[in-house]
Amino acid sequence: MDESKARLQAIVDRDTEHECSGFGKQGLCVRAVAVAELPTRFGDFRILAFWNNRDAKEHIAVVHGDVVGHEDVAIRVHSECLTGDALGSVRCDCRDQLEAALSRLGQLERGLLLYLRQEGRGIGLLNKIRAYSLQDGGLDTVEANLALGFRDDERDYAIAAHMLRSLDVRSVRVMTNNPNKLKQLQAYGIEVVGRIPHVLPPNEHNRFYLETKAKRSGHYIDFGGHPHLREQDDAVQVEGMPLDAPQELS
Amino acid sequence: MTADVLIIGAGVSGLSCARALARAGKSVRVLERSRGVGGRCATRRIDGQPVDHGVAFLHGRSPGFLEAVRAVRATRIEGWPSIVRGEGTPCQPRAFDPRESRVALREGISMFPKSLATGLDVTLDVNVTALQLDAAFGITVHADQCGEALMFRARDVVLALAGPQTEALLSTLPDCRPAETARALLALLPSFPCATLIAVYERSAGVPPWHMWYPESSSSVLLVAHDSSKRADPEHTVLVVQARPAWSRVELGRGESEWAALLLHDAAQLLGPWADRPITLSAQRWRHARVGAESELAAPLVLDLPRGCRIGVAGELCAPGGGVEAAWRSGEELARRLLDEV
Repeated sequence: MDESKARLQAIVDRDTEHECSGFGKQGLCVRAVAVAELPTRFGDFRILAFWNNRDAKEHIAVVHGDVVGHEDVAIRVHSECLTGDALGSVRCDCRDQLEAALSRLGQLERGLLLYLRQEGRGIGLLNKIRAYSLQDGGLDTVEANLALGFRDDERDYAIAAHMLRSLDVRSVRVMTNNPNKLKQLQAYGIEVVGRIPHVLPPNEHNRFYLETKAKRSGHYIDFGGHPHLREQDDAVQVEGMPLDAPQELS
Repeated sequence: MTADVLIIGAGVSGLSCARALARAGKSVRVLERSRGVGGRCATRRIDGQPVDHGVAFLHGRSPGFLEAVRAVRATRIEGWPSIVRGEGTPCQPRAFDPRESRVALREGISMFPKSLATGLDVTLDVNVTALQLDAAFGITVHADQCGEALMFRARDVVLALAGPQTEALLSTLPDCRPAETARALLALLPSFPCATLIAVYERSAGVPPWHMWYPESSSSVLLVAHDSSKRADPEHTVLVVQARPAWSRVELGRGESEWAALLLHDAAQLLGPWADRPITLSAQRWRHARVGAESELAAPLVLDLPRGCRIGVAGELCAPGGGVEAAWRSGEELARRLLDEV
């Protein structure tokens, strides 16, 4: 076992009985449970699985290079999106975002992606399908999405902060287009040294960002006529996108 | 008749919303269709003995809710039901989570909503029939009280009703996109009916040694609550039998005497032959008894209407966790949103 893998294994061993008062309002506590090699089409990674004390969701850190005890580690926080990540849905940009993040991290000396296994809040997947169903009916679903629990960023960042602490990452550079996210991590005591803009290469599925200006309502309508749901807590940036595009999508 | 906020429905969500708004200095008026407050937190009296024919006990874990329960001027039976029989799934599985506090009220569950309603302006027997947007006055609420037409006005109206009832009222607003979206959302979230029996026996007929029974094998009986075990020195043994949703859906279409006899018979199969011979039997149809655990929303809705008017939607559906606690929390949460945006 090389030294960097041994350091991850040592975290798993250390965490066996880990229990703390947790992060965030809900007192979220995670502990590293297992680590393994994960060669991917985006580069060589290791996968570190975390258990959490609140629900059955198992969170994942996808680690490239030696991050334990290091400073200025590039990170990306990605929220699970079954339809986009796994099924290749183009109703959102999650797959593009995930692939771009892993490709970039894989080319750096070190970096990690925190993959948070939660769709929305609690019963998220069902409610996401409900949100899609409402959109299919041509309705403006901003208020409905709020009631359907479309994302609890605060919770996500409490978990992310705990995972970074568990990994003994000393300071981070965050891949995001939303500077507010840096503050959220800082609020949990994570040292943030900078931001890396998360810019997607243009492709046939996201070209509408370049071709259509945002509608007055702040929604992007894609080629299929669907408004894009904001599943990641980030505004999408596609290379060549006009700078006056809104930073936040609903 | 105007107020800052009109609340339609004096169930737990409507009352908790009203309290939170009143606490913040708003003038609030609550309209209730029935003769009493509380909705499904309902108690009736049989020969002077209270019987809870809706919610059997309260359970929850959020500090605010537990505080509201402790503030009730009634005798709390902490931990009820402590003797539970059967391996069936309780209607709210988390009710028996170790982190959850459970409590019944000696004087009846309706003491809880009555306590919430204390000091509030609640008008009973008012059946709201339609909403209307009005250029000058905001939202006009049309209602009738014993055949007399009434009108109320407010800029903010809260619908604290079962989902289908909220849907029906929203449908009275013509050409209103936010209401349309809310109706489409509510249409995706079914509510379940519950046929309920109240069976009264002589004490000599039997006194079951349990508080609640959740049978696993019955296709009709969801639970039997030993209601008289909550009372001090009860004159009668009283059992409340709740039917499963699918059974209720089918049977509520038939005559009451027919389904009541069937359900009693099925309950007696579990309890013993004595249970088939009550001295009195009454039936209650809860058309919207509960929401599915897979259908709950994360938050209440606030619909922005023209000219700064708003319609808020609260209810058990509008907070995670289900049950009375979810209803209470949705009301509080909605009040917070309405106040923040003022």
